[in-house]
Amino acid sequence: MKKHLTKKKVSEKTMRILFYLLLICVSFVFLEPIFRIISKTFMTPEDVIDPGVNWVPRKLSLNNLKVAIKVLNLKTTLVNSILFSGALAVGETICAAITGFALSRYEFAGKKFWYVMILLCFIVPTTVLMVPRLMMFVTVQEAVKYTLIGTPIPQLLMSIFGQGVNSTILILIFQNFFNLIPKSLDEAAMIDGAGPFRVFVHIGLRLSLTTVLVVFLFAFVWNWNETYVTGTLLRSGLQLLPSKLALFDSEFESAVSSTGSAFKLNEAYKMAATFISIAPLLLLYSFVQKKFIEGIENTGITGE
Amino acid sequence: MKKMKTWKQRQNRSGYAFMMPWIIGFAVFTAFPFAATIFLSFTNVSSTILGYEISWAGLSNYITAFFKNVEFLPALGGYLRMAVPYTFVIVVVSFIIAYVLEHIGKLRGFFRTIYFLPVIIMSGPVMKKLLDTKVSDMQLLAGHTYSDIFIIQMIASYSRAAAGLITDVFQQLSTILWFTGIPIVLFINGLQKINPSLYEAAKMDSANGWQILWKITLPIVRPTALIITVFTIVQLGMFDINPVYSLIVTYMGNTSGGLGFAATYAWVYTLVVLLLMGVAFLIFGERKSKVKHY
Repeated sequence: MKKHLTKKKVSEKTMRILFYLLLICVSFVFLEPIFRIISKTFMTPEDVIDPGVNWVPRKLSLNNLKVAIKVLNLKTTLVNSILFSGALAVGETICAAITGFALSRYEFAGKKFWYVMILLCFIVPTTVLMVPRLMMFVTVQEAVKYTLIGTPIPQLLMSIFGQGVNSTILILIFQNFFNLIPKSLDEAAMIDGAGPFRVFVHIGLRLSLTTVLVVFLFAFVWNWNETYVTGTLLRSGLQLLPSKLALFDSEFESAVSSTGSAFKLNEAYKMAATFISIAPLLLLYSFVQKKFIEGIENTGITGE
Repeated sequence: MKKMKTWKQRQNRSGYAFMMPWIIGFAVFTAFPFAATIFLSFTNVSSTILGYEISWAGLSNYITAFFKNVEFLPALGGYLRMAVPYTFVIVVVSFIIAYVLEHIGKLRGFFRTIYFLPVIIMSGPVMKKLLDTKVSDMQLLAGHTYSDIFIIQMIASYSRAAAGLITDVFQQLSTILWFTGIPIVLFINGLQKINPSLYEAAKMDSANGWQILWKITLPIVRPTALIITVFTIVQLGMFDINPVYSLIVTYMGNTSGGLGFAATYAWVYTLVVLLLMGVAFLIFGERKSKVKHY
């Protein structure tokens, strides 16, 4: 009996070691692209084509970063990107909060139907919606004689009305959080004469400040990374970091040809540009990573 | 005097008041465009100074897309060759990682932080740049490709296509794994909801870990797996690595009659995506007939 027990313990221990090994290997595969971005960022052009140099550059060079910052026009694009994503995220957060509140608090007719529609919104590929959306905005633009295409207005409208990037997930996060707040709080407030809107602000929002932050951050990050809708509606109206990155190769060539120097585009420049464009997100993640993961856990889409 | 409203009326009123922005947005920016795309796919759209000129074209867009055009079907095939194996790998790998994470004590949070990181930084341009470098790295290290591995060659001797798919999956492993960020969290969430007494009961009946995994854990997380599969299909469609997507983008930029085509492509593509999801439902959905009643 005793022998059996120890045998079991040993096998459990080897199992655990195997698990850790597996996780470490997988972690490496996850992080390998990021490591590669970082290592290439600091390589000299000679190191890039040298097969003997794999990860660690022979000589650290900040030249790539400097060039990439210049080509990306970082000062403008960074501010633009932050303001743009921030504005869209605020819109999305507000709409997600009130929609989530409605789903969590009220038993209105057709609630199930709308809930399914919210889920369907996530499934339908954005590609299928973009042609009419574009035509709609162009038509309205002609009708009111006010430029819409090339400004953030169309996307702002879509965000405020709950059709932004991954709005469905944000709504679900809010709905699940509001479900945790006891309904008796609402009732108490109503007896004291608060209307539905005051209940929402003073009970719903007040108690969910962290959720508001999480949803805002998700919306921010997703809007930052979104390029399809932005490319169709905003086009080059605003210089944004990710879209600049997409155009990096051609921008680089034109910048070089205008100065007449003998620079050649190589992986190191591209990776430096990539590094710069994800750096703000990495920074954000390093501060609030727990909140992000909890946010997804709280969608509750796996339960029930 | 005003009539008192019933509870139900008040619920309706407040509920719809809060839902209104979303419902308006849904009608204007999603439901209407969806219907419009189906309509536009049967038309030719050309943009003039006076606005859009829409003329009925019948099935001609579809005929061109399927029989005359040489780029659409290959792009669609490319999408399927990407979406099907990638989704499979993502769902399986994310389950394995979630399961393993659930069975270790220390460092769980640390690993989870790593695995979730790609969710934050993943975007079309970034992925594209990464894939580009990967390709050039491969050329640099010519000779060290996965297709040289013995097992892959063995598979290749049976079926070249299967071997191609497998090498493709391995070559893009990092990229594929980057899609597992959210699925892992969802799977962990699903695993944690399993009642521990079920495991105890199984252990009492002297089931080993392997049996518990297949008889208890997997059947219980099946609904979660369905959600994750659907989620992954949605995710995979959104990025530049999807060949259909870039095709549609090019056609949308083409103002002389391109929009009708773009609508046709987008609509057919959506049907294919929905079909894939339907298959996922068939695989993971509830199978009532198979349950034995004692």
